[in-house]
Amino acid sequence: MVEALGNFAIVWLDPWLLFLTAAGTMAGIYIGAIPGLSVTMATSILISFTFKWPVNDALALIAGVFMGGVYGGSRTAILLNIPGAPSAIATAIEGYPMARRGEAGEAIGLTTVMSVFGGFIGILALALFAPVISDFAILFQSRDYLLLGLIGILLVGTLSGESFAKGAFAGALGVLIGMVGLDPMTAEGRFTFDTITLMGGIPYVAAMIGFFGVAEALVQLHNLGLPVVKQKIDRIIPRLSDVRKHFWLAMRASGIGTVIGALPGTGGDIAALLAYDHAKRSTKNPEVPFGEGAKEGLVAPEAANNAAVGGAFIPMLTLGIPGDAVTAVIIGALFIHGLKPGPLLLVETPHLFWFVVGSLTLANVFLLIFGLTGIKVFTKIVECPRAILLPLIIVLSAVGTYAIQNNPVDIYWMLLFGVVGYFMKVYGFQVGPVILGVILGPMMDANYRRAMLGARGDVGTFLWDFVSHPISLVLSLAFVAMLLSQTPLWRLVTSRRRGPAA
Amino acid sequence: MSTQPGRKPGELVFALLCCVFGVVAFQQAYGISGFGGLTTPGVFPMLATGTMVVAGLFIVAGAARRGRERSGESTPIRFMREVLPLRHCIMIALMLAYLVLLPQLGFVVSSALFLLATFQYLWRRNPLLTLLLAGLSLGAIYVVFRIVFQVVLPQGIILGWTI
Repeated sequence: MVEALGNFAIVWLDPWLLFLTAAGTMAGIYIGAIPGLSVTMATSILISFTFKWPVNDALALIAGVFMGGVYGGSRTAILLNIPGAPSAIATAIEGYPMARRGEAGEAIGLTTVMSVFGGFIGILALALFAPVISDFAILFQSRDYLLLGLIGILLVGTLSGESFAKGAFAGALGVLIGMVGLDPMTAEGRFTFDTITLMGGIPYVAAMIGFFGVAEALVQLHNLGLPVVKQKIDRIIPRLSDVRKHFWLAMRASGIGTVIGALPGTGGDIAALLAYDHAKRSTKNPEVPFGEGAKEGLVAPEAANNAAVGGAFIPMLTLGIPGDAVTAVIIGALFIHGLKPGPLLLVETPHLFWFVVGSLTLANVFLLIFGLTGIKVFTKIVECPRAILLPLIIVLSAVGTYAIQNNPVDIYWMLLFGVVGYFMKVYGFQVGPVILGVILGPMMDANYRRAMLGARGDVGTFLWDFVSHPISLVLSLAFVAMLLSQTPLWRLVTSRRRGPAA
Repeated sequence: MSTQPGRKPGELVFALLCCVFGVVAFQQAYGISGFGGLTTPGVFPMLATGTMVVAGLFIVAGAARRGRERSGESTPIRFMREVLPLRHCIMIALMLAYLVLLPQLGFVVSSALFLLATFQYLWRRNPLLTLLLAGLSLGAIYVVFRIVFQVVLPQGIILGWTI
């Protein structure tokens, strides 16, 4: 316990780490706020620059960027009606009408305080439950990991995209990208076309930066000339009565956020929308109707999306399965630093776990400080024209990709993935499942083969194992239910059930 | 989702390309170890690419079902306007040129050229202002990444002396 506390405090006591976390949080708020820059983009570019650093420094910076970035999206949502990140979509629905009434400062203040509340709940859940889940996860067999991986990709594919088929395609494409190279078990080449370049595989950082950096920059190229609305901001510190009134709603929303964040594959975006929905249904008599600037509709999604940050770390650190796209990128960072996220992470490197908890907490404190100050400067920076921003993103993406292995081939991969990702985004595909596929594909492959070898290659035994062990049975049922919910059969059953009742 | 808009220009072609890519990838995956066993290196790639083919078929069906959006313009013109305008083509070409030049000319020279060209093209202000802005932003990137983060930036084969 004392040791845990010591590791928790490292980041609070070391001036350099303190500075990195603060800088990360500050940068995260701006990155999250500027439409076109996303947290995922920033973390994927950042890990390429920080891979030579000591792991603590890199994690402190990334924790700050993650925390700040998830919150930052709300700023532009309120001020400009442009959600800086998908997790701020619900915030824009209520926040922008408030800003039009001249209450932008108040809206930002309330969002900041509630985001910080949410953040703490998520971190508390991480600190309390991760060790428990980690103990439990040691019981997980290969087939359970296979199922968790499949569920993760399916969840992100179904909940965030417009069609299940597109989500499944994107996930499978990611798995395919992850498979390229020499098979780790037999050293046989896969999709290498007998070239040496492909034998080492496709670097996932190139894929991440391509899909999240270059592709997004190309999408943003459509909105070059979007006008900017100027705002007057007076009051920022929220009223105590407001905070007290919405406290319990924020707590409930944080609960939703943590759980959604902890589910593999789902993150802040979905958490925010579900919490908004919850606020809408649970608030009987809002002062202002929803959609016209109801504070309830602002509090719930913002508390939820920051709670999802802590939640998303739970499966990542205990099972090695990312909770969302950003944690998928962070897993990549941990791999680069020679760490293996999974049930043994907490046993072998407990200091790392408590360090992460410590730096997330610290980032959350900085969030409160930076969130309530410097808004006037902020509005100036966010007005930076995209014509300047987009070329800079490209330069950073190229240099970031190059920095990983100093290999020019990687930057061509980045451009290719960027262009492919652009078309995918235009035609309604999500790129999140691709990255999850890249990260989870090799893990699922290895676990599938281990499970099959465990069943001595007998399909009957292999399938029987999925239902004869309690953990596997629960996961199998969840997987099948998710698959069925996407088929016409499900709709038929639900409509029939509704039919006689009506 | 009954009020879905018509499909975007080029969507059906893209869906078909997804399908074709899936089939080619499946063929490659089959080539790894065929149907020889259940634990061979080729099984999982075949599952993944098989999923791509099946999902691809659904995507094609979905795109075909939604039908074309009713408008007076022909599909290629709409494609040029909504999906791949000239600006995107030029930017992609500039990016390609930048990436080709990066290992040759090194980070500083190639990035300076790229930033000058793209700022001027997208921002359309006084060239002197563009020059100043490109210089400032490049300087900032250099200081942050080379000096603070100590990242090794591409040095360039031809102009090796310019870091």
